[in-house]
Amino acid sequence: MLRQIRILIWVLVALAAVGLAWLLLRPQVESTPAQSISAASFGGPFTLVDSNGQPFPSSRLKDRPYVLFFGFTNCPDVCPTTLARLVQWRNQLGKGSQSFDIVFVTVDPERDGPKEVGTYARAFNAPIIGLTGSPAQIERVKKQFGIFSEKVPDDSGGYTVDHSATVLLFAKGGKFDGTIAHEEQPSAALAKLKRLTA
Amino acid sequence: MNRLAILTLLALAACGREQAASDIKLSNGWARETVDGQNAAAVYVTIVNNGAGADRLAGVSSDAAKHAMLHSTSTDNGVMRMRHLPDGLAIPSKAAVELSPGRTHIMLTGLKQPLHRGQTLSVRFDFERSEDQLFDVKVLDPASAGLQGAR
Repeated sequence: MLRQIRILIWVLVALAAVGLAWLLLRPQVESTPAQSISAASFGGPFTLVDSNGQPFPSSRLKDRPYVLFFGFTNCPDVCPTTLARLVQWRNQLGKGSQSFDIVFVTVDPERDGPKEVGTYARAFNAPIIGLTGSPAQIERVKKQFGIFSEKVPDDSGGYTVDHSATVLLFAKGGKFDGTIAHEEQPSAALAKLKRLTA
Repeated sequence: MNRLAILTLLALAACGREQAASDIKLSNGWARETVDGQNAAAVYVTIVNNGAGADRLAGVSSDAAKHAMLHSTSTDNGVMRMRHLPDGLAIPSKAAVELSPGRTHIMLTGLKQPLHRGQTLSVRFDFERSEDQLFDVKVLDPASAGLQGAR
């Protein structure tokens, strides 16, 4: 009996060690989601490329609140759903399309040039700012905003992109104001946007 | 006599197939309009199995795209991941399986032409037990499609 208890304890110790090792060694993506980054080290000015191929400095977003969403134009499910919802919520607020800017930044600059992000942003019957950049520019902005993305080969010889699907909210002037998660209830998301544009 | 037997067999076979086909009902199929440069699209559909036995959606295909695959979407710690479902999708008996935004979808890649709203898209559904089905899905405005069913 005592021997069995001793074995059980050792098994528990081994499990705890494995758990601890996992906590220490798990991939970085899980340890740095956008939500856990402190507002102080978060964001900051950036320059990307707009749908006309012209530089787009973040100072262009200073006049009103904005929401930032990272995705890619060949993303068939989560990206169009998120952009369509943002447009719907902005319409539901009833303060017009100037109440906040919706900014879409591609995490797939190799396939999404200015033309692709521009055409994609126009597909939602409402103003959306589509941005791309050089791979180095996109990497820098991803790091600034705690965005994870990773290309994953698909079975058809191409690739898809896993990426952070959280919408980042910024008050007028560019101060980080919170997030809307992909699973967020519409009523909660709407309340956040109402506060953002108050 | 021989001919009668063959005819009977054919009739029975036809009956059996009809029976199996009618067990699975596809409805509410749709996809979003795509723009130039987009070569991927998701298709959503509701699959109802009225039969007494479980079935499985083993594969999908469409003439509109080079590849069609069943995909799951999951969001883990804020990160969206799409994965191929190589074993297909279980369709339990007397159950409805809904393919909807943010969950499971049919992923079309290598679209031969952009999808335009108002158009229909023919998708072939290969079931493990029931008869395979060709089903037309509607192409909808991306600004409003699927918002009701979205989580």
